[in-house]
Amino acid sequence: MAKAATAPTTSRRIKLLGKHPIGIPFVAPYVAFLIVVFAYPLGLALYMSFHDYFFAAPGAIVERPFIGVDNYTQVLGDPVFRTALFNVVKFVIINVPLTVALALVLATALNRAIPFRTFFRASYYVPYVTASVAVVGIWLWLFAGDGLVNTILGPLAPDPPWLVNEAWALPIIALLVTWKQLGFYVLLYLAALQNVPNELYEAAKVDGAGAVRSFFAVTVPGVRSATTLVVILATIVGANFFTEPYLLTGGGGPNNASISPVLMMYREGIEQGNAGYAAAIGVILAIGVMTISLLNRYVLERD
Amino acid sequence: MKARLRLVALGTALLALAAACGGDEAVDTEEAAQATGPIDIWYSDNPEEITWGKQAVEAWNADHPDEEVTGEKIPAGETSEEVIGAAIAAGNTPCLVFNTAPAAVPQFEKQGGLVALDDFPGAAEYIEGRSGDVAEQYKSPDGNYYQMPWKANPVMIFYNKKVFEKAGLDSENPPLATYDEFLQTAQTVIDKGGVEAAIWPAPSSEFFQSWFDYYPLFIAATDGQTALVEDGQAQFTSAEGIAVAEDFWAPMYEQGLAKRETYNGDAFADEKSAMAIVGPWAIAVYGEAIEWGVAPVPTADGISPEQTYTFSDEKSIGMYSACENRGTAWGFLKFATSKANDGKLLELTGQMPLRPDLTSTYADYFKKNPEYEVFADQAERTVEVPVVPNSIEMWQEFRDAYSSSVIFGKESPDEALTTAGKTIESLISEE
Amino acid sequence: MSASVAAEDRSAAEDRRAEDRPPPRAQTGWGRYAALAGLTAGAVLFLFPFYYMIIGALQKSPNTDISGAFPQPGNLTFDNFVDINRAINLAGTLLSSVIFTGGVILATLVLGLLAGYALAQLEFRGKQLVFNAMLLLLIIPFMLLMIPLYVMIVRSYGLEDNYLGMILPFAVNPTAVFIFRQFFMQVPQDLFDSARIDGASELQILTKIAVPLAKPAILTAMIVTFIGPWNEFLWPFLITKQADMQPLAVALGSFISNVAGSVANPFGAILAGATVLAVPAVLAFLALQRHFVQSNLGSGVKG
Repeated sequence: MAKAATAPTTSRRIKLLGKHPIGIPFVAPYVAFLIVVFAYPLGLALYMSFHDYFFAAPGAIVERPFIGVDNYTQVLGDPVFRTALFNVVKFVIINVPLTVALALVLATALNRAIPFRTFFRASYYVPYVTASVAVVGIWLWLFAGDGLVNTILGPLAPDPPWLVNEAWALPIIALLVTWKQLGFYVLLYLAALQNVPNELYEAAKVDGAGAVRSFFAVTVPGVRSATTLVVILATIVGANFFTEPYLLTGGGGPNNASISPVLMMYREGIEQGNAGYAAAIGVILAIGVMTISLLNRYVLERD
Repeated sequence: MKARLRLVALGTALLALAAACGGDEAVDTEEAAQATGPIDIWYSDNPEEITWGKQAVEAWNADHPDEEVTGEKIPAGETSEEVIGAAIAAGNTPCLVFNTAPAAVPQFEKQGGLVALDDFPGAAEYIEGRSGDVAEQYKSPDGNYYQMPWKANPVMIFYNKKVFEKAGLDSENPPLATYDEFLQTAQTVIDKGGVEAAIWPAPSSEFFQSWFDYYPLFIAATDGQTALVEDGQAQFTSAEGIAVAEDFWAPMYEQGLAKRETYNGDAFADEKSAMAIVGPWAIAVYGEAIEWGVAPVPTADGISPEQTYTFSDEKSIGMYSACENRGTAWGFLKFATSKANDGKLLELTGQMPLRPDLTSTYADYFKKNPEYEVFADQAERTVEVPVVPNSIEMWQEFRDAYSSSVIFGKESPDEALTTAGKTIESLISEE
Repeated sequence: MSASVAAEDRSAAEDRRAEDRPPPRAQTGWGRYAALAGLTAGAVLFLFPFYYMIIGALQKSPNTDISGAFPQPGNLTFDNFVDINRAINLAGTLLSSVIFTGGVILATLVLGLLAGYALAQLEFRGKQLVFNAMLLLLIIPFMLLMIPLYVMIVRSYGLEDNYLGMILPFAVNPTAVFIFRQFFMQVPQDLFDSARIDGASELQILTKIAVPLAKPAILTAMIVTFIGPWNEFLWPFLITKQADMQPLAVALGSFISNVAGSVANPFGAILAGATVLAVPAVLAFLALQRHFVQSNLGSGVKG
């Protein structure tokens, strides 16, 4: 694509500041915010992960020795952490494809001239805004041993019931999160659909494409940058799930079947005072998600 | 890649900068112990204790205009330990917290967040004079008191009389003394009492849940002679300790008498379960709605109630190191735990001040409120969580083993607890 | 002025994109009914928790059985709302929530839009670094940073019991910046280039071209920005020690942990509180939703 030069600039200045130096003041306030608010906690988190660290009172004389990568080797050797990591993988495998597919199909349907469009859009958005406490209360009730779901299933109901069943606890949480977040991703896709030029659909129609073919030929490629966004955000949400096992399965139960790395961080770092260990979990998790996100971006955004 | 490296470098540089200017000085302990002036305190956030806290603060302030106490309810709930832990790091704890969990004390102590009360002359005598022999359990390994033992909620078995009657059981003296009796009774109330569970302790994995299922029975089984660990040794791997798991709780879950699912609410209050393990605070809650009876926790052979020990579910008062006017704080602490104020606590909350001979000291109260008497009596025979390093981690380790073996039957309780015992022994020997 | 040049250019561009745009893909036949039926079934599934929350909030005594999902004339009451209002000052905590959330939205819109635009459309030195920093922040579990942040904001900045301290860590929502970037990338490049040739400044391009075109995305970003602080529990809980500064989500959370005995129907009171928390969020969405549809039509109407 031929980008028109904005103004005659010396190549030297371009080399030093880039083609649009105006971008620097544009991002400056954001960068200042990042530095003022996050550089220190982030740096401290890294520092902590290499020490036998805990949070001490100001002025307290305490020993927090440097222990190299001990925290990391311990975390990686911790069977609970492996379970937690594997749970993230399972979670993402269930949650991300389901989210992308459902959100895009729903958004496409909601973008059509259908009656009660406002009503429909609002209803898909409702779980997203409802406080977790209320949502979790409802799921507990739905998936209890004598809950609505089992009543409907009758003899097909799993035993032990869903939330205390090691095979089902995590998938239920993944579904809950998919359901709760879906409205937001539908909105993202709806927004993206507004920018897909209509003549592409016209052209597809002229070529004799039906609704399904034009969905795959026009809609899917048309919202690609939104798909990158959805995949990355859903992966991040998946890697950070915490409230649901904390509230819904009584702290990652049954028997750690639904434990998540962030729940481990909460237990280790905040409940048990092993801040260094928790920080190492966080760093490993962040590196993993970063890798996946960059990979996603590379795959989804390449031309 | 290069960009990220630079980011890390930037972060590290800033960290060094921040660390360089983050040197606050500690409070001079000797000076502070004398200092008087206004202080802040936190009390618990349930309505009864708020009422008590407010009246204690008002009474103090009326007599001490120069040493004003400001009371605030603790930002609270399951997360109150986190709030205190974070506040210690930030150096903004109040002087006194009237809701310090003994299990969290070792951690707060390690953080340098707690003041050793022994800094004040006569403190140990005061604490031991008030609470008697039980005070010993609240001493830290270094021999100091970092907490003032305050009030207990000795847990017992509450049962629903209506449900028991419906099941054709004696509702005044139900057979609940031995494990066999208890299991039998549990089966009967499920069959005929119209409840979903005989008893419904939270089956979830939070570290403190064992205090309300396994631990009270363990204490009773060992005649109150030991805490979960003692002298660096796991005590729950003894024959009695394993029996509590193997002969009592495991069959409870196996036979469906206790539920593996979390109940969203209070199962006993909603009459979904026939029994509950709770302390006297619950009387105010269940009092009107449910006709309840109370029994000591069961033991293998059914020792007499007068000899049965249980878990104290105690809350202490901690003095925190951010406190400057510690002289005033110590004064208020003594004031708040005086005989008169302990009486008020009993009256307003139904919780048991940690004093021997409650029934004779506050005879009038127990005459008026006879239902509390059994708890006052039980309060004489309680055991606390042990004050050991990595206390919360220890409980989490225990809970995980208990949950997988006893509640979910994935392995034998014997093996699971023995393995956990080894891990725990190495945990508590770390410093 | 160049702004009008840009505006003219924009309408010209829209002419190209949306010539005689028909109503969004009118549907005929059974496909439309199938879509409608699917959407209706989905809407029921998504509206159910909200409905259940309201039913629960109106129950005199909690009914966790299946019959409890239907209104029972004998078991209806408004007492739960009265109870919750007595336990926590709904008006005061709502005001606090509004200040907290409003501050976050304002900061995100001003600083985030600038940053998102620069990251999408401008070439300048350090751009990749800023983008990665943003991504990193999005990925790092908040649990990892929470206590260091708390220590820093209280100890170094002295912002305890202060709205500024409450707002600061949330001030510029990284998800929103990411959304802005993705959508500004989707806007056809030639629109910007022609405006630049016409001499429009980058700020003008941002406000006169990019923002109007990405309006649905901006509204979506506002919703995600809104929902974070509105339902956030842990952070404001740490930073506020005075009860009268607490947002509603925090007050409700504290209430949940110590309701036993203080009200007649604790579960109902919790759900009543959750209802009060959710309703403004739904209303805010409905208010924004109108603009959603308008912007959709707006870009379809000529000139």
